[in-house]
Amino acid sequence: MNEWVIETRALSKRYKGRYAVSGLNLKIAKGDIYGFLGPNGAGKTTTIRMLLGLIKPSSGSVHIFGKELQKERLSILRRVGSLVEYPSYYGHLSAVDNLEAIRRILDVPVGKIAEVLDIVGLAKEARRPVKGFSLGMKQRLGIASALLGSPELLVLDEPTNGLDPSGILEIRELIKDMPRQHGITVLISSHLLSEVELTAGTVGIIRQGELVFQDTIESLHRQAQGQIRLVVSEPEQATVALMQHGFRAELKESAVWLNGGQGDDAVAGAVKRLVEREHSVYRVEERRKSLEELFLQIVGEGLRA
Amino acid sequence: MMSGFLRLAASERLKLAKSPIWLLIPLSPLLSLVIGLLVNLDEFGQADNAIKYEVLVSAMAAFHAMLFLPILTGIFSAFVCRYEHAGGGWKQLLAMPVSRTGLYFAKFLTVGALLAIAQLLFLGAVVAAAFYQGLGDGVPWGMLLTSVFSGWLACLPLAALQLLVSVGWSSFAAPLVINVMLTVPNMLVLNSERFAPFYPWAQPMLAMLSFGDSELGRLALPLENVLITVTGSFVVFLAAGLVYFNRKEV
Ligand SMILES: Nc1ncnc2c1ncn2[C@@H]1O[C@H](COP(=O)(O)OP(=O)(O)OP(=O)(O)O)[C@@H](O)[C@H]1O
Ligand SMILES: [Mg+2]
Repeated sequence: MNEWVIETRALSKRYKGRYAVSGLNLKIAKGDIYGFLGPNGAGKTTTIRMLLGLIKPSSGSVHIFGKELQKERLSILRRVGSLVEYPSYYGHLSAVDNLEAIRRILDVPVGKIAEVLDIVGLAKEARRPVKGFSLGMKQRLGIASALLGSPELLVLDEPTNGLDPSGILEIRELIKDMPRQHGITVLISSHLLSEVELTAGTVGIIRQGELVFQDTIESLHRQAQGQIRLVVSEPEQATVALMQHGFRAELKESAVWLNGGQGDDAVAGAVKRLVEREHSVYRVEERRKSLEELFLQIVGEGLRA
Repeated sequence: MMSGFLRLAASERLKLAKSPIWLLIPLSPLLSLVIGLLVNLDEFGQADNAIKYEVLVSAMAAFHAMLFLPILTGIFSAFVCRYEHAGGGWKQLLAMPVSRTGLYFAKFLTVGALLAIAQLLFLGAVVAAAFYQGLGDGVPWGMLLTSVFSGWLACLPLAALQLLVSVGWSSFAAPLVINVMLTVPNMLVLNSERFAPFYPWAQPMLAMLSFGDSELGRLALPLENVLITVTGSFVVFLAAGLVYFNRKEV
């Protein structure tokens, strides 16, 4: 037994000889919010469809709640709520009837419908036919459907698609609360790191079907750590001097750059050396790569984690 | 397992309850009723009630069983898939804890139930026409129920095939066009003693008009023959549908 809520082993899906997903080893811990990131066409939706048993993997396996999906699909799906790609709905039915159609299958109490409508803020529109809903309202209905069965695992494929900024914020808050209040594990996919940055505990980044990063958000922050830029007189000599003293200094754009984990002491030491050698120190600045820049870099070139 | 199936069926019922399908069902029985009221039974003045009933049912079922019933089968099958195709319902349904086979049967059962309603309305139309024609005494319930029931049974293979086509094809109209193209030849096929017994779309008509030892029996085949064709095509079409649906990528 392991404690991963979702674990995939070398999960792959091939379409006509081309891999849409290849050798994926996802590991998602209980109570975590896992941000599943990647650009268009990276294979996020394909992966999620395999996690839900909507399509069969070409090779590899999916384990959810420690059980193999192939063998125990029904008992697993009973505990999973999902929203795949765009929300599903029956246009001729009202929001309440849409949820009722699902409720009859899941066999949960009637009261649950009002509860989930309330959670996603659709209670007022509940009696209108859904075909007249805006995309954002349909998206909310989709999230309500996912919550209806009181799932232990929530799989949301781009759930904020089509929502306005306040809607995005609401959904973000909602998702943030899931592990805390209900012990629910969440897998949420997105194109944007910024969208999951504030909620996710772990991030997996997929690029052209391959997982190129999978670690905690803190680790990602660490990798995004900055450089110190020193603007000094005679930068060439300054760089050489610092290197002689064991600093990882580099000359770039006629400034000295200190790379790698630069604690306060190291920076102070470097400045002291330069002053001792009669360099004038004009500026000491920290240059931080934003997470988004790092993400784009990972997605661009594929950084092995 | 059984309760899961019943829940699926209840969900299907809700989806159809608020759809325009209900306007369509009475059309064919109503048209049959008009024919039943207009048909002239005078030349059978001295004949048995049974003969007159056979004439009446034959007249009334002419369009109903030859054209409308097979076409309705296609429409019903397309309808139970329509809302899933339109709103991305397949992936939502199949990401829930439902067995694909169970879902397929729930859809099939729904089509069967709609057809049964159409047949019961047709039965009502026959009885109403019979009373109007003064045949009110001694309604041959056995014969009428057999006719209506075997007509329903003969539609099930078509329902199985149409469900397969409708599940596989996200278009609503395309399966209907195919169905009409396969139904229209009935008018020729039914005249062919060689082909009629083996053509699935002709079976509802043959089934509804096989009154056993009928003297009118140009069309009438022994019900057993009909049942062999019906059972054979049903097994083939349903198995194909189940295999396809269980493998379908959603
Ligand atoms: N049924 C299919 N047949 C052929 N190729 C497919 C099929 N489904 C997906 N693909 C391919 O697989 C790749 C991954 O697609 P997928 O939808 O998983 O991407 P995604 O990460 O969800 O993208 P997006 O952010 O645009 O939603 C794409 O190149 C796509 O063309
Ligand atoms: Mg996608």
